[in-house]
Amino acid sequence: MQLTLEFGGGLELLCESVKVHNVNVDLPKGADKLTMRYLLSWVRTDLIKERPEMFMKGESVRPGVLVLVNDCDWELTGQLDTTLEEKDVVVFISTLHGG
Amino acid sequence: MEADAKPKKSGPRLCCICTKRRAVLKRPKTLEQICRECFYEVFEEEIHQVIVENQLFKPGERIAIGASGGKDSTVLAYVLSELNRRHNYGLDLFLLSVDEGITGYRDDSLETVKRNELQYGLPLKIVSYKDLYGWTMDEIVKMIGLKNNCTFCGVFRRQALDRGAALLKVDKVATGHNADDIAETVLLNILRGDIARLGRCTSITTGEDGPIPRCKPFKYTYEKEIVMYAYFKKLDYFSTECIYSPNAYRGFAREFIKDLERIRPRAILDIITSGENFRISTSTKMPEQGTCERCGYISSQKWCKACVLLEGLNRGLPKLGIGRSRGLNNDIKKDTKQAGGTKSIESKQCGSLDF
Amino acid sequence: MACNSATCNSSGCYKEYEVEEEQRQPTTRGGINGSATTHQILCVKCKSNEFVCCGIGGDDARFCKDCFKTNLYGKFKQAVSYNAMITPSDKVLVAFSGGPSSRVVLQFVHEMQCRAQKNFDASKDRSLPVFGVGVAFIDESSIHSFASQGAEKAIEDIRSIVSKLAPPEKELYVVPIENIFSSDNIDGKERLKKLLDAVSDVTGKEDLLIHLRMLSLQKVASENRYTRVVLGSCTSRIACHVISATVKGQGYSLSADIQYVDSRWEIPVVLPLRDCPAQELNTLCSLDGLKIVELLNGPWSSINGLVSSFVKVLQEENPSRECTIVRTAGKLTPFHFNRIPDIHDSSVPSATRRRQKRHSIKPNGSLSSESFCPICNSPLNRSNFSSSLRSLESNKNSDIFAAAACSSCRFQIIPKEPSLTEQFVSLLPQPLITRAKHGDRGDFSLREQIQEFLLSDGEDEI
Repeated sequence: MQLTLEFGGGLELLCESVKVHNVNVDLPKGADKLTMRYLLSWVRTDLIKERPEMFMKGESVRPGVLVLVNDCDWELTGQLDTTLEEKDVVVFISTLHGG
Repeated sequence: MEADAKPKKSGPRLCCICTKRRAVLKRPKTLEQICRECFYEVFEEEIHQVIVENQLFKPGERIAIGASGGKDSTVLAYVLSELNRRHNYGLDLFLLSVDEGITGYRDDSLETVKRNELQYGLPLKIVSYKDLYGWTMDEIVKMIGLKNNCTFCGVFRRQALDRGAALLKVDKVATGHNADDIAETVLLNILRGDIARLGRCTSITTGEDGPIPRCKPFKYTYEKEIVMYAYFKKLDYFSTECIYSPNAYRGFAREFIKDLERIRPRAILDIITSGENFRISTSTKMPEQGTCERCGYISSQKWCKACVLLEGLNRGLPKLGIGRSRGLNNDIKKDTKQAGGTKSIESKQCGSLDF
Repeated sequence: MACNSATCNSSGCYKEYEVEEEQRQPTTRGGINGSATTHQILCVKCKSNEFVCCGIGGDDARFCKDCFKTNLYGKFKQAVSYNAMITPSDKVLVAFSGGPSSRVVLQFVHEMQCRAQKNFDASKDRSLPVFGVGVAFIDESSIHSFASQGAEKAIEDIRSIVSKLAPPEKELYVVPIENIFSSDNIDGKERLKKLLDAVSDVTGKEDLLIHLRMLSLQKVASENRYTRVVLGSCTSRIACHVISATVKGQGYSLSADIQYVDSRWEIPVVLPLRDCPAQELNTLCSLDGLKIVELLNGPWSSINGLVSSFVKVLQEENPSRECTIVRTAGKLTPFHFNRIPDIHDSSVPSATRRRQKRHSIKPNGSLSSESFCPICNSPLNRSNFSSSLRSLESNKNSDIFAAAACSSCRFQIIPKEPSLTEQFVSLLPQPLITRAKHGDRGDFSLREQIQEFLLSDGEDEI
């Protein structure tokens, strides 16, 4: 599945300072849809190069990291249970640094 | 990407204010689901209300916005210039930045501020540690190492901002401290046992008895909304942590606040309410305000903290400034008597400024 | 405690009774300096026995077993006598949960009673009576899901612990928490369950239970003519309360909850272990083989749980952090009820009375007729309180109740839906309803009590 992932607010530093990543994520075996829960674990293993604890805490993002799916706050779409579709844009922004 | 390009299959949730457009944000303060346009409106309107209710500004005042290039000050500069126009505040706004002299961090963020100067049409003034104190943070860190460098930076920045504000001849400095920052400060002051600061830290305006008061128009504004606002408005801000400040202790408190916000978003405002309502006896002795004998800056001691730290740096005894200040000033009194020769050299740094 | 944080203001440290612990520089925790390792490490106090345990002061607080215990008991004794917590004519009820803190407080109260008994037996005129001690265990097994067998075993253990703390004999009250409804003559268990189910917020539910527990203790104490309720709240517990009250927006009332004495209740509540960190109490339990019954407190969740893990992390980073937190909150201005009402009983030694006058907190300025939240009994911030009542339009009991509550209880405990509010209020135990009725219209049940304070304070001034 083609997805665009964007990292901002300093999170880009965790993936070699590249802000926008066009990626192809395969559905997990036996699943018929791709959830944010799966995408996060995929990002953690396949995209993040350093300090994953700045991005994740438990199975979700670290508190203080905002997530938008197609420019919509993921708190409105079901957070970890949000289902992703082809060509979706997922944005991660850290609020944790810089005043 | 376009916001309205792809609503989810489950059907778009509608904004609970206009009930027309698709909701894009859940407000931490009210848990309302609102659309982008309504978000802009309530966000700006709330800040306007805070400014009006607390009489932060008077018509005709010159106001410096403490600008670091980060999200908070960038959004503050944008919103203040917007509100100033819309509601005819009649303010002269300026951007005021401090250049600590940190390569790879402040030089980059200052570029952002310089762009903001053009984008928002606000005159920019930069004051640098090098000019004010003769030391950049890079040089200070080279000398003292990574421990305690934030003490230096904090003390120097506070004074630098005041000196910059005086150069701009402004009436007040507005800073971008948001609700999360203030809640964090309340907690830190409890953890440190600093009752005097605990009493002061939730005031929306501080330093009214000093040379230049400061105010925090974002006192009740959630960090989440500031970042969302900057993102939706595509505001140009710089977001990298200071390379010298992996401050674990402050980090604990910040992480705690974020964990809290996740369980109960209202907790951030509740902490501020607590801070405002603490029963702190006003009869508690406050240190008497005087002026620094060396540079003339406000100080409750013989020398202001910056001069004490600077003295240490210049004499190659950086430890001099760390710890409790009462002892330090005594030390210095003794030291300066003994080493009269150094005094004239030291006083140059601060003395060259007209304060 | 010896404070090793750079920002600590040494004047606030508990110097008075810990002269042996001087202000120390930050050192690596638990590390023993090279110079020390070559010698036998001696107790810092008696300098003769080998040390076996550390107070939370770290290296500078290495004590032998006896000195450690004496030091801890000293803090307890100091709190008791400086605040006139227990006088010879008192009958004190110790709240015992089975945990280490309340186990230690029970032990200390017992030891104090033994000494008083010894003095009584030795004295000729026997003029000073020995204070009485009772123990209350609030049985919450009806609302926790674990097996009732476990609860039975726990109660058996508690009985055996208390029976061994004799002489003097101590009455033990094992009280099911649902007994707060007993006067209403209905099925308490069912009602309690319904009441807690009506609270949707997890933290609110936990907090309501804490309030109900206090209500139970007050009921037992009052019915059996006790004059004090003794809690085992230790420094660590109080530190957590400071942070969680702050987080819940209870900054105004916070200072009421963390003093040595709290006499806003019918029976005054005292906290003699306020200066003892949990770590030291745990150490004492294991050193002295004090049996602990840990079962009936499930793990905290939600805000309270988050706060206690936060405080734990801070404590690990700096062992005196909890003390600093409590000390900060201790600088907030207490309320007029944070002292034992003046003693006029002639059987009380005049030294105690004098001491009380010297050390007890003077109410500050205007002694206002404080209003209290009907649920948590917190004093209400006047400005917030009157505005919520002014905006009140309805005359319905439940609405008045909600408006009379503090903003924290309104948010996390009282249901928002009007019909649910009504149901919730109807389920509350009678004392809370009474509290609301007397509190919200300026007609205080507390007025008489307050009047007393007014008079006695006036006398003090003359």
